[in-house]
Amino acid sequence: MLSRSFKRFRQNKMLLLMVLPAAIWFVLFSYLPMAGSVIAFVEYRYDSNGFLSSIWNSKWVGLRNFEFLFQTSDALIITRNTVLYNLAFIVLGLVLAVALAVLLVEIRNRRMSKTYQTAMFMPYFLSWVIVGYFVFSFLSTSKGLLNQLTSWFGLDALNWYAEPKYWPFILVFIYLWKFVGYNSIMYLAAIMGIDGSLYEAAMIDGAGKWKQIVHITLPQLTSLMTILTLLAVGRIFYADFGLFYQVPRDSGLLYSTTNVIDTYVYRGLKTSGEFGMSTAAGLYQSFVGFVLVITSNYIVRKINKDNALF
Amino acid sequence: MFKNKRMLAVGLTAMLGGTLALSGCSSNNNANNASNQPAPAEESSNANAPAAETKNEPVELIWYTIGTPQKDTDKVMAEVSKYTADKIGVTVKMTQLDWGDYSDKMKVLTASGTPMDILFTSSWAFDYVQNARKGAFLAIDDLLKSEGQGIQGVLDPAFLEGSKVEGHNYGIPANKELPALEVWRFNKTLVDKHGLDTSNVFSLESLEPLLKTIKEQEPDVVPFALNKDYMPVVPYDYLISNLPMAVKLDTTVYKVVNILDTPEMKQALKTMRAYYKAGYVSPEAATITSLDDVQKAGKWFIDRAATTPFADNQWSASLGYPVVSTPASESVVFNWSVMGSMQAISANSKHPEEAMKFLNLVNTDPVLRNMIDSGIEGTHYKMAGDNRMENLPDSKNYDMPTFSLGNVMLTFLNPGDPDNKWDEYKSFNGAGKPAPTLGFNFDASSVTNELAAIQNVKGEFWAALMTGTVDPDEYLPKAIEKFNAAGLDKIIAEAQKQLDAWRASK
Amino acid sequence: MATSRVRKRNFQQVSRPVNVVLNMAAMLVSIVCVFPFLFVVIISFTDEMVLARNGYKIVPEAWSLDAYRYIFKTGESLLRAYGVTIFITVVGTLISLVFNTLYAYAISRRSFAYRKFFSFFAVFTMLFNGGMVPTYIVVTQLLHLQDSIGALIWPMAVNAFFILIMRTFFVTMIPDAVIESGKIDGAGEFQTLFRLVLPLALPGLATIGLFSALAYWNDWFNALLYIENPKLVPLQSMLMRIESSMQFLMQNASNSSISTTILTEMPQETSRMAMVVLATGPIVLAYPFFQRYFVQGLTVGAVKE
Repeated sequence: MLSRSFKRFRQNKMLLLMVLPAAIWFVLFSYLPMAGSVIAFVEYRYDSNGFLSSIWNSKWVGLRNFEFLFQTSDALIITRNTVLYNLAFIVLGLVLAVALAVLLVEIRNRRMSKTYQTAMFMPYFLSWVIVGYFVFSFLSTSKGLLNQLTSWFGLDALNWYAEPKYWPFILVFIYLWKFVGYNSIMYLAAIMGIDGSLYEAAMIDGAGKWKQIVHITLPQLTSLMTILTLLAVGRIFYADFGLFYQVPRDSGLLYSTTNVIDTYVYRGLKTSGEFGMSTAAGLYQSFVGFVLVITSNYIVRKINKDNALF
Repeated sequence: MFKNKRMLAVGLTAMLGGTLALSGCSSNNNANNASNQPAPAEESSNANAPAAETKNEPVELIWYTIGTPQKDTDKVMAEVSKYTADKIGVTVKMTQLDWGDYSDKMKVLTASGTPMDILFTSSWAFDYVQNARKGAFLAIDDLLKSEGQGIQGVLDPAFLEGSKVEGHNYGIPANKELPALEVWRFNKTLVDKHGLDTSNVFSLESLEPLLKTIKEQEPDVVPFALNKDYMPVVPYDYLISNLPMAVKLDTTVYKVVNILDTPEMKQALKTMRAYYKAGYVSPEAATITSLDDVQKAGKWFIDRAATTPFADNQWSASLGYPVVSTPASESVVFNWSVMGSMQAISANSKHPEEAMKFLNLVNTDPVLRNMIDSGIEGTHYKMAGDNRMENLPDSKNYDMPTFSLGNVMLTFLNPGDPDNKWDEYKSFNGAGKPAPTLGFNFDASSVTNELAAIQNVKGEFWAALMTGTVDPDEYLPKAIEKFNAAGLDKIIAEAQKQLDAWRASK
Repeated sequence: MATSRVRKRNFQQVSRPVNVVLNMAAMLVSIVCVFPFLFVVIISFTDEMVLARNGYKIVPEAWSLDAYRYIFKTGESLLRAYGVTIFITVVGTLISLVFNTLYAYAISRRSFAYRKFFSFFAVFTMLFNGGMVPTYIVVTQLLHLQDSIGALIWPMAVNAFFILIMRTFFVTMIPDAVIESGKIDGAGEFQTLFRLVLPLALPGLATIGLFSALAYWNDWFNALLYIENPKLVPLQSMLMRIESSMQFLMQNASNSSISTTILTEMPQETSRMAMVVLATGPIVLAYPFFQRYFVQGLTVGAVKE
């Protein structure tokens, strides 16, 4: 028994060596700090003898640090918002990123294609603060471009930052605008890597461009699509703080459609700065993601082992 | 179940601890052997290691303070150290963290137990009360008596009284403006142009005729400039700034109330709503964070600010056009105004006595105070009179925020400052009436969940109500209801209990 | 072979009208994406007063270099900061390529006995993290990286997300036959990887190379946490520091001490935009370098068959 596992180890020696550097990194930079998550269960108070002694001497409060996430009627709203936005981002993001990648590959002029690609990548560089300023310059009641436009058509100026019903569309649009270019790069690279002989064979069979895309390109991308989607599912309880805080300018009247778990936690802990509670919130978000990933990975594994995460 | 979790915690902690110990750092983290074991080889090179000290060598103090890092800080601190090594046997290493980073970084540094001796804290950056409660600072009651008599001599007693947390002092307030006095600021150009009289202005309502004139005659100007942090002045003392728990200023019964439920606030919100509807307030008021653009362009008429002696001059200088002001509130000494700028001794300081000696000297010795503030004479500044200095070109390499570093009344006057500047400060400070809860600081640790919830409710309604963006008749009841659902009642009850206990103990 | 390849690729192209439609669609999206960026550049050269008065205008009344002047003055060592950023971006990207690729290749191999374990080992780090303070303690008290260039490189050297992307590329792009052929030739695992597999995986390498270069370039947080020595501050961190401090002072303008002692002459909005220009200009220009490999991968792949 022991010799068998030793043999197995020896056979995999070289591959284990390849894994080693990053594995050590994971231990140091991910797994060790994870032990600090125990803060989520204490009322963290500083102790003059450093971090460990602080944890040790802090009061154990069980699950009390988690309570604020579930206590009020807001709990439902923030959970609903976080999940629904993420679902929209996952589905629309996937469709658009793949579509854009296919489109860029098919454009005949390489130079133009590259230019478009660079252009679509640009929004990724703008921070949410900057994006927030642009959205404001576009939507602001007095000077905003959009209200100037609508006033031409004789419509009343709208106070966009007081109208929650438009924000789901605005936020989804902005998210896609910012990230689709970035995400499409992965698909673009994947299309480039598809075995050329597959297309040749298809052409010999007389398949047109559309058929090639449907029967070769997309199936070849499923593996990447599945993996990226699985990873996104793992973060479904996390929201991009900047998008939901900077872009709506923290306008209270919009909370019903813009408050998400991350903004709720930020606002709630801004003054008290309780480490225990912020750690608890993160742990909760991670835990839900973990359960979802395990479940969906299990399902994916049943269908196609190659597309599973592990 | 409970027990298992405790075990889990022990396990995880042990895991983290084990590895830290392996690296030879445990002496930093483990109290029991820090003092009586020789420092490990790795640390003996470190000048701070207590083992390396002998009696005659000066002690190095690590000082973290707020402000944009300056090029010449190390150079000036070398001079400072020469002076202090002579006088009290300490040297100083100062690290400045920029305004926007200070709170976040200090939070990590203190939580992780990074060695330091002195650190800046205040009511608006790296919150003093919260961090004192969490144990970031050393209680200095005894040290103040033994090493800090000088400080007690120069500070108005209200400073030390108002910065007590649970009856203990954890930091030394800088001697500067003590009370909070709100003023209406006017764009003087417009005041003069329309021949307006600002002398009778005091209440929010009294602004109406002025605002009306400006609205009618200056269509480009925002008559009443305010941003999302604006709150009408009401005669109440907030237990936590900007949260609705408050006590009336002239109270005798010390009853904690929800500020939104008070007649004064209701009246103020109604007025704000009327102003908003009349177009005196920018329609974006509830979403803008700074008034920078209208003020740069001079396109505003009235706003509100907290004042200090001669503030009008400074405001006019920094805006580039004249600004005048008239009071908008009584002059009151609040807990938060007392805590406007403080230096504390870190709980993990290895040299608390020396740190206190140093702070005592900073707050009483003009030579040291001015060196820290203005740098080296002949390099960064030159004297231009008995108590007056002038900046030299190199002062751009050492430009410090004076108020953050200790007693401002020891500092040299700048060109243009009136001779009686500090006398004015003293009379300004003398005029402030103590707030009813001066010295009482609410301990929110038993209601942290409720506090988190009401913070979100506040975010939802506050700015919209305060700026008049929404109709208080409709939204005020909604807000009150939601605040109560989030647990404001419970917080108020807890605050009342603590306040009563505090009064009984006085 | 090469000529036939070119001819075949021509056959593969879409028809002219379709191409026009595709171009128009791509152009539209591109404009929407580039327009704000253009605006950023224009605003950064606008006079602050004019901006405060008129708001954003495509052709401002008055131009000005004040914003850039202010940044160069405040961030004295801008060039040094560029140097630090370029150094950590180049070195960090190389390290991260090596670490991530090795790990990804191993877990992409069906014959690797511990494949599932190590895949999970990586994925788990994407789901759970220890938070800021514990990480800070490990980096400073265990690894002693504070105030060193290592603190800017090591915390981002490995990324499970990149590993999983790379693994997918290996699995889908590298036919088993290639690895088998390596075995038959008697090549070791490392030889197979470097000689046979990597040339085929260039688009994948370019992708994660680009992503990690961007991550290093844009990182400001590690410097905020770990760097106090001004000589080691990278560009983004320096700009972020100026920006957040400007914002902090603006928001605390009602604080009497701040409003009366910190004389503010900052061109706030324009310098914010100038910072974007300074920070993103170089990396946008570097982008075509990575783009090259998206096409090269195809050709190499085609020749290899």
